[in-house]
Amino acid sequence: MSDERKISQEQEFSEERASLWKITFAPTIWAVHFVLCYGAAAVFCAKVPRAEAQVDLLRWGMAALTLLALAGILLVARSAWKQWDFLDDYDYAHAGGNNEDRHEFLGHAAFLLAIVSFVGTVYTALPALFAGTCR
Amino acid sequence: MRDRYRAGLGLLILTASAGCAGPQSVFSAGGADALQINRLFTVMLVGAVLLWLSLNGLFLYVTRRRPGRMSRKLAEGVIIGGGIVLPLVVLTALLSWGLSIMPEQRAPGDGLRVRITGEEFWWRVDYYPPGSEEPVVSANELRLPAGPRTEIELLAGRVIHSFWVPGLGGKTDMIPGRTTRMSLEPVTPGIYRGQCAEFCGASHALMAMNAVVLEEAAFARWLEAEAAPARAAEGEGQAIFFREGCGACHAIRGTPAAGVVGPDLTHLGSRTTLAAGILPMERAAMVSWIANAEAIKPGVRMPAYGHLSKAELEALAAWLEALE
Repeated sequence: MSDERKISQEQEFSEERASLWKITFAPTIWAVHFVLCYGAAAVFCAKVPRAEAQVDLLRWGMAALTLLALAGILLVARSAWKQWDFLDDYDYAHAGGNNEDRHEFLGHAAFLLAIVSFVGTVYTALPALFAGTCR
Repeated sequence: MRDRYRAGLGLLILTASAGCAGPQSVFSAGGADALQINRLFTVMLVGAVLLWLSLNGLFLYVTRRRPGRMSRKLAEGVIIGGGIVLPLVVLTALLSWGLSIMPEQRAPGDGLRVRITGEEFWWRVDYYPPGSEEPVVSANELRLPAGPRTEIELLAGRVIHSFWVPGLGGKTDMIPGRTTRMSLEPVTPGIYRGQCAEFCGASHALMAMNAVVLEEAAFARWLEAEAAPARAAEGEGQAIFFREGCGACHAIRGTPAAGVVGPDLTHLGSRTTLAAGILPMERAAMVSWIANAEAIKPGVRMPAYGHLSKAELEALAAWLEALE
């Protein structure tokens, strides 16, 4: 590989470094929300005196955390949707192999991951909604 | 060849469907919790069949009936509608329903508390009537009143076990050093079979017990009788029992026998089975159990008493059987 070609690839890559990171944002929010919810429930139910009577405290905390996580995921989704720019050319395939395609592909992927993360975060919170008990 | 396949399939269905009834089947539900599990299963099964049929119908449609190119709009509708929206709606509905009935399954009991301890390979069963701190000690058979919900505490001796009476409800693990809990609400009197559901050693499969559900009044009478000391007859059987040192491991309330290593035998004769659910409560079974328990249940701690004569074994078995 010639030095010239190597440099140009590095430049290309650095341009997309930000949106490579962006792909991970939504799943990371989902994962952190998951760990916090399960950890909080386990510690609360095991350590807090009279946990059963105060379980609503835990549920409200989880509700707030969930809303925060969902808002974060929606922000990521909005930015990813813009990057995909679907309504511009209705392109799903990104088959061109050029910079624009790479850029839009990363937006596309980040958007889909945001959807999955949104659903996952809601599902993580559902047990707290339905099972208002430490049992 | 095709006939052979058919016969094989028939045999498979026959064998599989044998699990659909009987005292240890979740389909022969006699408890509120098992009925709920049954309902969940039925809805899941019907839903899965409907999904399977409609998906395959769709495949058939696009590959055979209408194999040409789809319009972009239709293709997007199929992928987004069938691939994202439909599963999301179905799974969310199922998850919400499942989660909403979970607290009922783990609701606290109405008064009676039963503490069951998994041993190798049998069960200690202690009854704590409402307000009582002293248990009514029993073993290897669970009796429950039909109607109220009974709180069940689960402990384990040396290794893990799992308590499961499929006809009455779900299963819960028994873990050494921890107390787990569940509750059961039997509705139909009858005999249901329970089985250890977590591999616990050589005789795991032989660790069972009957759960006998009684009408409330009958249960109250039974518990009163179970709390009373044994009516042990004097005679040869009793003499052999104490001569052989059986009381070092087994307790019979009302006699000097107070061992806690093995199951309490105070009202042994009134139980429906012997050796934790695997033998009938009959003289012959009792004799062979005492003569060589290890041969029937590998890994059991009870030594063999094969050195006793047949007449002595018979006398001992008769005496134990009379402990009602």
